[in-house]
Amino acid sequence: MSTKIRRIVAGVSGLAATAFLAGCAKDAPQDTWQPKGSNAKIIDDLQQPVFAIAGVIGVIVTCAVVYCIIKFRDRGQAMPEQTHGKPALEIGMTILPALILAGVGVFTFRTVFDLSKTSDTQMVVNVTGQQWWWEYDYPAQPELGITQPIITSGQRIIPVGTKVLLRETSRDVIHSYWIPALNGKRDAVPGRVHTLRLDADEPGIYAGQCTEFCGLSHANMRMETVALSKEDFAAWVANQLTNAKSPAEKTLAKEGEGVFLNQCVRCHQVNGLKKVDGTPAIAAPDENVWAGAAPNLTHLMSRNTFAGAAFDLLSKKCRADVWGASSETVGKKYLAGVGEECLNQTDLRRWLRNAPAMKPMYADPAKLTSTNGKYRGMPNLGLTEDDIDKLVAYLSTLK
Amino acid sequence: MAIIERPVITEGVELAPLATPSRAQGAFKRPVSATGWKSWLFTVDHKKLGIMYGVMAMFFFILGGLEAVLIRLQLAAPNGKVLSASVYNQMFTMHATTMVFLFVMPMAAAFANYFIPLQIGARDVAFPRMNAFGFWCILGAGIFINLSWFFGGAADGGWFMYAPNSGPIFSPSHGVDFWALGLQIAGIASLTGAINLIVTVLNMRAPGMSLMKMPVFTWLTLVVQFLLLFAVPVITVALFLLSFQRNFGATFFDVSAGADPLLWQHLFWIFGHPEVYILVLPSFGIISEVLPVFSKKPLFGYPFVVFSGAAIGFVGWGVWAHHMFASGLGPVSVAVFSISTMAIAIPTGVKIVNWTLTLWGGKLRFTAAMHFAIGLIVLFTIGGLSGVTHSVAPSDTQQTDTYYIVAHFHYVLFGGAVFGLFSGFYYWWPKMFGKTLNEKLGKANFWLMVIGMNMTFGPMHILGLQGQPRRMYQWTEARAGEGFFNLAFWNRIASIGSLILTLGIFLFIVNVIKTSRSKERAPLDPWDARTLEWMTSSPPKEHNFDVIPTVHHLDEFFHRKYEQDPVTHEYKQIATAEEIMADQEAHADKHIHMPSPSYWPIVLASTLPVIMIGVIYSIPVAIVGGIFLVLAMFGWALEPSTAPETDFDPPASGESTKELAPLV
Repeated sequence: MSTKIRRIVAGVSGLAATAFLAGCAKDAPQDTWQPKGSNAKIIDDLQQPVFAIAGVIGVIVTCAVVYCIIKFRDRGQAMPEQTHGKPALEIGMTILPALILAGVGVFTFRTVFDLSKTSDTQMVVNVTGQQWWWEYDYPAQPELGITQPIITSGQRIIPVGTKVLLRETSRDVIHSYWIPALNGKRDAVPGRVHTLRLDADEPGIYAGQCTEFCGLSHANMRMETVALSKEDFAAWVANQLTNAKSPAEKTLAKEGEGVFLNQCVRCHQVNGLKKVDGTPAIAAPDENVWAGAAPNLTHLMSRNTFAGAAFDLLSKKCRADVWGASSETVGKKYLAGVGEECLNQTDLRRWLRNAPAMKPMYADPAKLTSTNGKYRGMPNLGLTEDDIDKLVAYLSTLK
Repeated sequence: MAIIERPVITEGVELAPLATPSRAQGAFKRPVSATGWKSWLFTVDHKKLGIMYGVMAMFFFILGGLEAVLIRLQLAAPNGKVLSASVYNQMFTMHATTMVFLFVMPMAAAFANYFIPLQIGARDVAFPRMNAFGFWCILGAGIFINLSWFFGGAADGGWFMYAPNSGPIFSPSHGVDFWALGLQIAGIASLTGAINLIVTVLNMRAPGMSLMKMPVFTWLTLVVQFLLLFAVPVITVALFLLSFQRNFGATFFDVSAGADPLLWQHLFWIFGHPEVYILVLPSFGIISEVLPVFSKKPLFGYPFVVFSGAAIGFVGWGVWAHHMFASGLGPVSVAVFSISTMAIAIPTGVKIVNWTLTLWGGKLRFTAAMHFAIGLIVLFTIGGLSGVTHSVAPSDTQQTDTYYIVAHFHYVLFGGAVFGLFSGFYYWWPKMFGKTLNEKLGKANFWLMVIGMNMTFGPMHILGLQGQPRRMYQWTEARAGEGFFNLAFWNRIASIGSLILTLGIFLFIVNVIKTSRSKERAPLDPWDARTLEWMTSSPPKEHNFDVIPTVHHLDEFFHRKYEQDPVTHEYKQIATAEEIMADQEAHADKHIHMPSPSYWPIVLASTLPVIMIGVIYSIPVAIVGGIFLVLAMFGWALEPSTAPETDFDPPASGESTKELAPLV
């Protein structure tokens, strides 16, 4: 009996494992079983054996039940013995899983503390979630070339092989920061600061998504972590530290700057932007937006997604080129930013035309009383097509 | 048989003066109808209430199921357009709320109400009016919560309604108000029901039925009632905090006022985790009855099943934070809760081993009920094992809030709780209605449900592991991966599966209609059953048993039918169910005291939604509701304990009624 059963168990478990692995998508961007950083690898090393053990136990139980179904079906046999159980067997069957779980428990315990280690952190990024996008602020870290704080959103750039500590919080509801290839998720809770360590082994763009339900547009709250080589990262930092330059006079972009000053600067900061009277234009989104912040657009075109990483700034072809690039070339391609020929005009224009239609938001002025008169997300600004042309021209200069 | 609860003045028998307290006390008459709609509206009979619980739960099962189908239709293709983001968020919130609070819990209550008194040889529950009150509360709660669809939108925060997203700023419609206040009413139903059943089981067992001779369904339901008794107050507190925040400007979860939003999570899950066992233990109880009957063997390791059930009841309180591994609790809490969660897998594993060993060496008859019971063992095992992978906290931080956990809890709750309930339908239908559900349709129902459920929830394991988060109203091709078996493929399979599942449940409804039209009566003991509920007519008389049985064995009914030959050790039938029944009728008890129907449970329960509507829209309405509540309580208190003889119509004939025992 035992060899026969063993053969069945082996056969079925092998079949199930093959079916399962063959049944997976190739290159799913948020695959949890393709770790690309040390933290995700620690998790993966723990979970693979656990899944295997669970799979084997599942197969054994199923086989035992199937065996009973076949072997003990009513064929007119006599009334079975009215046994009430065998305590020795029962106790054995209680101790056995307890031992297996104790083993799993020891490794889990160790891994939990390994993952919480922060003493050897090499770089800090503050991460703030809000409805429905992520802001990253890099405090000044001169040893990494960050001489002044950098504020960006959507895509978080890190140097490869560097142990980065995220300090997460939120400006409104609970969100959760999750880049599956680099680590598990950690909630960003208002009023608290939670830490999460991330590092990437190779340059690349790693996709993620908010995984704590955060209201209407939860599905559209995405993010990426972009790992660059140390040199590329230095170049990125250098660019981020510069202010936006005002476009040349008498260009469409310059007119766009006027529209921006009129319509957008209430919420969106562009570092270096000056009002007509020459004073710096400072965004004060806290007056208009519930979260009290809107993405800083100084280097919008250095990122390749917008609106909470929900939409591409790159056209389809250019996106495929950058996202599909090998780890050697991805840095250069990413740093090239979004050029004229690559800009995804369609989505950007649709967004400027009517943002809430693309990404549901509580931005209806009629409902502002329920949110203390503040928008949640970007409202429909009622721009004319003319204004949109000008704005697109201006935004394209924010490299 | 006519009404038996009325006092009968028999010539020559002098009733003690205490037998007619009704005339001395009480300001209101009690209703007396034994037929027609009034007999349902004012009933306190545990069996009628059980059926009413069942009908209500089935209605909400269909409603929650349709919500689920809409969700799957939306997700069948990328950028789904069936539902808007707002409606989708309401849909998944209400799907979970409906299935948990308005289907599985009331359906378990239906079985508990109907069968616990029968299984312990009692004539009713300890507090019959409170029992009716509980039913009207949960029905009111179900209607009240769903009213929100018509008043500006249902709750949209997900069924665990994390703060501060559930606050008035972030959820400006009244949906969450309806949700919180409605669940408050449902909580009243659960609490009164729990107290009632605990008292019933502890005090009203037939003579000789020690706790360790109690049927396992009764045992596990008793554990559930204790879980409810301690878990419901926690959610009550949480819901009060939420309602005061939303309706009266309190700041319990307002971060700017210094609150910590994690407070809600702790409160919710201290309730929410025991709740999981509240949902699944009744089904464990059901299949612990079904498997022995159709294996012709006692349950293997009865004490292990009972004590592991109790152990789950205890350890279930120490694992709540495993829902919060990603919340940022810190490594010490995470490690501790990770280990305690693994510990709870042990008593659960014990049950699976015992069920399998009950089959082992048995004489298995594959009825529809048995199909569902065996289906539960396998499907729940899958859900249990994916649960063990979740208990490994670092791994959970990858899988939580993805479709992997959606797969996990649907294997546990659909494969576990729902399959158990369906097993119960097929097993107990002849007892409840005197007719057996069609077995052929039943098996078709089973196979469609098994295929549908595995097609719907099986691919969700892959979807989750490959990074699709839950609660997204749309998924996009950009994150779906390459290849034929990409996430788009599995989303489509899951959606097709949900339609097959729907078809399976539709077959059950067809079966019910077909059976109710059929004239064929079920035999008295169709399954050769083992426990007391089968030792009476089907459906049972209003007083359940003509004679309160004296219990000598676990599986008392079996031991009355079969006897072991002392020489050959073989079991021989010594009596049929009909013979046992005839013997009972011949020796019927002379004094049977049954409670009279009452107006007050439904009146009292109906004041609660009025108060809640007042809390949301206008305080004066709440005050009026409150006044009626107090008046109804007085009415309840001032009601006579029985209806006087003269109220009954038509008058009873001497032979067909039984005397009322003097009230003590």
